[in-house]
Amino acid sequence: MSTLLEVKNLKKYFKTPGGMLHAVDDVSFSINRGETLGVVGESGCGKSTLGRTVIHLLPKTSGQIIFDGEDISDVDDHKLKELRRDMQMIFQDPFSSLNPRMSISQIISEPLKIYHVCKNSKELDSRVTALMETVGLALRFRDAYPHELDGGRRQRVGIARALALDPKFIVCDEPVSALDVSIQAQILNLMQDLQKERGLTFIFITHDLSVVKHISDNISVMYLGNMVEKSPKKELFDNPLHPYTKALLSAIPQASIHRKKERILLEGEITSPINPKPGCRFAARCIYAQDRCREAAPPLEEMAPGHFCACYRAKELAQG
Amino acid sequence: MNNTVSFKEYILKTGTASVQEYSAENDNYVRKSQLREIWGRFCKNKIALLGLICLLLLVAMALFADVIAPEGYDNQDLYNKFALPSAEHWFGTDNVGRDIFDRVVHGSRISLTVGMISVSIAAVVGILLGSIAGYYGGRTDNIIMRILDVFMSVPGILLSLSIAAALGPGLFNLMIAVGIGSVPGYARIVRASILSVKEQEYIEAAHCIGCSNARIIFRHVLPNCLAPIIVQATLGVASAILVASSMSFLGLGLEPPIPEWGAMLSVGRPYIRDYWHLVAFPGIAIMITVFSLNVFGDGLRDALDPRLKQ
Amino acid sequence: MSDKLLEIKNLSIHYFADKTVFKAVNGVNLSLERGQTVGLVGETGAGKTTTALGVMGLIPSPPGKVVSGEILFEGKDLLKMSASEMRKVRGKKISMIFQDPMTALNPVLTVGDQITEVIKLHEKCSSLEAAAKAKEMLEMVGIPAERFSEYPHQFSGGMKQRVVISIALACRPEVIIADEPTTALDVTIQAQVLELMTKLKKEIQTSMILITHDLGVVAEICDKVAIMYAGEIIEFGDLEAIYDNTAHPYTIRLFGAIPDLEKDVDRLEPIMGLMPDPSNLAPGCRFCPRCANRMPICETTPPPEVEVTPGHMVKCHLYKEGGLA
Repeated sequence: MSTLLEVKNLKKYFKTPGGMLHAVDDVSFSINRGETLGVVGESGCGKSTLGRTVIHLLPKTSGQIIFDGEDISDVDDHKLKELRRDMQMIFQDPFSSLNPRMSISQIISEPLKIYHVCKNSKELDSRVTALMETVGLALRFRDAYPHELDGGRRQRVGIARALALDPKFIVCDEPVSALDVSIQAQILNLMQDLQKERGLTFIFITHDLSVVKHISDNISVMYLGNMVEKSPKKELFDNPLHPYTKALLSAIPQASIHRKKERILLEGEITSPINPKPGCRFAARCIYAQDRCREAAPPLEEMAPGHFCACYRAKELAQG
Repeated sequence: MNNTVSFKEYILKTGTASVQEYSAENDNYVRKSQLREIWGRFCKNKIALLGLICLLLLVAMALFADVIAPEGYDNQDLYNKFALPSAEHWFGTDNVGRDIFDRVVHGSRISLTVGMISVSIAAVVGILLGSIAGYYGGRTDNIIMRILDVFMSVPGILLSLSIAAALGPGLFNLMIAVGIGSVPGYARIVRASILSVKEQEYIEAAHCIGCSNARIIFRHVLPNCLAPIIVQATLGVASAILVASSMSFLGLGLEPPIPEWGAMLSVGRPYIRDYWHLVAFPGIAIMITVFSLNVFGDGLRDALDPRLKQ
Repeated sequence: MSDKLLEIKNLSIHYFADKTVFKAVNGVNLSLERGQTVGLVGETGAGKTTTALGVMGLIPSPPGKVVSGEILFEGKDLLKMSASEMRKVRGKKISMIFQDPMTALNPVLTVGDQITEVIKLHEKCSSLEAAAKAKEMLEMVGIPAERFSEYPHQFSGGMKQRVVISIALACRPEVIIADEPTTALDVTIQAQVLELMTKLKKEIQTSMILITHDLGVVAEICDKVAIMYAGEIIEFGDLEAIYDNTAHPYTIRLFGAIPDLEKDVDRLEPIMGLMPDPSNLAPGCRFCPRCANRMPICETTPPPEVEVTPGHMVKCHLYKEGGLA
């Protein structure tokens, strides 16, 4: 397995009237070809910003991004356009991510036109047809407009658009959160099939832990711009180390009446990452917080093979 | 609890009927060409259709003015001043005995051209400036909008007057003068709607598939800002005709014998108490033009929006 | 305790637009006993919210219209009440918690004023008394009374939802209708709000109808569950019946479509097909076009309501009274 994407010390700050907003603060990770990295966190934790910064939809503040063996941290417009063929994105809201004034075939064919992939309109037509079949869209919707389709189908259009240029890597920003359960399952299956067929690599951003568990190989948990825990999926769910991950896992309501778990209730709410204080960002809500947690931020350390956690007390707490 | 297993297992075991992905619907989506679809939506709006017909008639009148009124527009008949409408002079004659019908027909050429072209000038420049300001934001936005603010702080007619005075009289200069005066209005409207459209996810998606900025503006942003622009433009034609006429009245537009509806109004104004027909007919002509443009514009706006399909 | 506080009988609500009729709610029967929480579960367009608005008498009309049925509250039919009688019930006896706490509060009034307003509308008391009561309400939902005169934008999402809950509870209503009260919140905040709602339910003995699409939330706080599909309640029973003894093919497959935290599956089992179109419903069983267990009879005849085990109602041709057909 070779590494497709490596991100080192990525930072993205926004200037706000209240001060510097540390949306993504010193995040590093890597993804292997054909694998899925799930990024979980609550609203405002910087997970969407992370995804957008990685594919250069937002300019980064600092840090290094290595894609396919090539440093793409700083690229010019020309190179960026080349890169876009390999990195695509699937958006959260199937209702606002499609231009309401373009028909389905226009939306799907647009990337092909921009990159002059097809020699003539006949070839373009057959490419669009093939893409629609790949994502399971009936061909009679070629000339329909987005508002005539339901959420699941619109999301299929978004997926087809992302696949049009045959990318290697796709950032999926909450692609199923706006969908109903029964439709959500259809889309998740489609994405898994596509990944297998085409060897795609995904970053899957979501707030839904059960979805991320279903689709990812590795999972990283974010809290206020920091990555607090990163581990293979099974390890994370069997043996969560960070107190935030534990609370998050215990907070999910389960569709069963037998598994009444001990719930760790977090006090307070997520604070804002504007001009954050030094120390662990989670310390304010953490029941295990000590003085050292408030003084300096804990580094992301490998606690078990492949299992990283940013908490001073993780080891000691894990031992009981 | 024995049938706990049985219900679920039974259902899952016996559930073998195949469900086609799309069997749930029986709507038949028929392929239609886009133009035909827009035309179809437009035709549903009867009043808009009426507006289009009126507009076409007006344009035809302008094109065939020489056929409809072969006598020309400046035959003075001083023995026959202020004649009321009759079989000979359908709309009567004016203060120097010229046939008003002939003048209205010939005037349509000038008035329609002035109205449409000056609005086009204003719209094109305004849309361009507005989209650049709205799309790029920041300093670009500030510079463009502050300059336009200066323009806006001068009353529109005064601005047009000074531009016309600088350029000198003449039809083309008149259109430029009237057009520039209304640029800030378009720019403001376009900028405001671009600011809201810009935040939509499909703009981000367009960036993502490698669209250039120009393509994003013209293909993704502007089509979604059409509605207010169309409304402003159709209303703008009317005011352009009126502004042009006031300028002619002040001697900065067209030279007198040339018929122009606005100018005809100002010529007739002193006699309005005794001879109503001097102002009534050019006035009606302006009214019909404005009305048909407005309803046509509304209809067009709705027809171009694929979401408003009933 | 089996006195029925609220009883919905054969309620149908349709929306009329041009030439199409959108059948949002079709013959819903539901009863709520004192102190009980009923979960109303379904996907988008199942008619959950329309049912709730029907009970509140808030169906926008036109285009909406209650076509048939009655809603008995303490023995009186809410649908026959005049607008002014209904206003007295709404907020006082039955109140509603809305989905989005960001828009449910008026941004230019302080939260204290908004709670006081409800109290003054329905109870004869002075402004001072009302304000004191409002402060009490805030404390009850876990907000310090000092925040009484703050504006909604000074509260975070979870705190706003607490304020909304305190407004709904201000007059100690008999029934609360909560429409997706935690959907807009983050998981850890949702856990806090659910905890609060469970606590309050015990404290003030209110009955509640909880509308949600999340079977996990239902499992946490409901006593009874009603599964809605295409404007009908297709399965109804207590928690145990629905979760352990699921009967309707739709419910079974709905559970199957949720990724499970405890189990590992390679592929989810989605329900194929699309949500039903309320202007064009199947003539027989509404779920029939998507059902893998369909039989010829399903396409033509709507299934009757049968009681498979005591208290467990199912609408499906596969069952008869007492079990499988």
